Amino acid sequence: MGNSDDRPGRFTQSINNIREYERIAGFLQIARRALANNAFDGVLTMIGVLMGNYLGGVDRASTVIRIGIATSVSIGISGLWGAYLAESAERKRDLTELERIALTDLSKTKIGRASRVAVVIVSLVDGTSPLVSSLIVLIPFFFASLIGNIMISYVLSLIVALISLFGLGMFLGHISGRSLVGYGLRTIVAGIVAIMINVLLPLEP
Amino acid sequence: MKETMGNLRRLVLDVLKPLDPSIVELVQLLADLEGVDGVNISIYEIDRRVENAKVTIEGHDLRYDEIASVIEENGGAIHSIDEVAAGRVLIEDVITPQD
Repeated sequence: MGNSDDRPGRFTQSINNIREYERIAGFLQIARRALANNAFDGVLTMIGVLMGNYLGGVDRASTVIRIGIATSVSIGISGLWGAYLAESAERKRDLTELERIALTDLSKTKIGRASRVAVVIVSLVDGTSPLVSSLIVLIPFFFASLIGNIMISYVLSLIVALISLFGLGMFLGHISGRSLVGYGLRTIVAGIVAIMINVLLPLEP
Repeated sequence: MKETMGNLRRLVLDVLKPLDPSIVELVQLLADLEGVDGVNISIYEIDRRVENAKVTIEGHDLRYDEIASVIEENGGAIHSIDEVAAGRVLIEDVITPQD
């Protein structure tokens, strides 16, 4: 009955509640799609940032980090805000329709709570997935002073980006139950295309 | 003491509820309540998003408020109380010549 006994009980209860809300509101599939989609966006955006910095002749790691983090924060906020507004509008509409049919106020019931939890979880996944994925790509620049040559940091970052894309592809392959490598290669091609287009664009600084 | 207070033994409710949470979950939540011995939920009408259920609960000391709050918490609306029985023994509806 003590606090130490209550904690695991409460944690298990919270997990069970989330599972139950998932059964009612069905947000797992949407969150999974948001995770893959937005992490993909985050990595590709960061490839753009890296290529822009490289082709623009930026040779200071702190500048690349500053621009990279500013971009990551922006796409994170964009994901969070956009998903929150879109998801809450959809969920409210859905709940209102159900309330009209059931002739009862469902906002304080399990169904209402499941709807609100779905909005929070989908928004958080939408916001954090591009933020985290883009920051992962930036990791080599945090160790630029150890690495020494800034060019190596650029190359390492691009390699991390391509590996992340491959990993995301494998995640999608796992969801679809198809070839992991096949999906991995498809997503990696997107990164290579983004790099190539940036290199080939006839723009001089 | 409770035995002399006319404890509730049977409740038959007409409930309109959303399809989710399902009646499998609801029946178990109701069966877990104190004083409940058994629960039956049967669906007699189903729509795209809601269903009409007949909820029959029997026990030795049913607590209507708790039962109603579990049903409402799960999105159900009690439309009517169709049958109740209370007391030391369970009395069935008696068929009379008028019936």
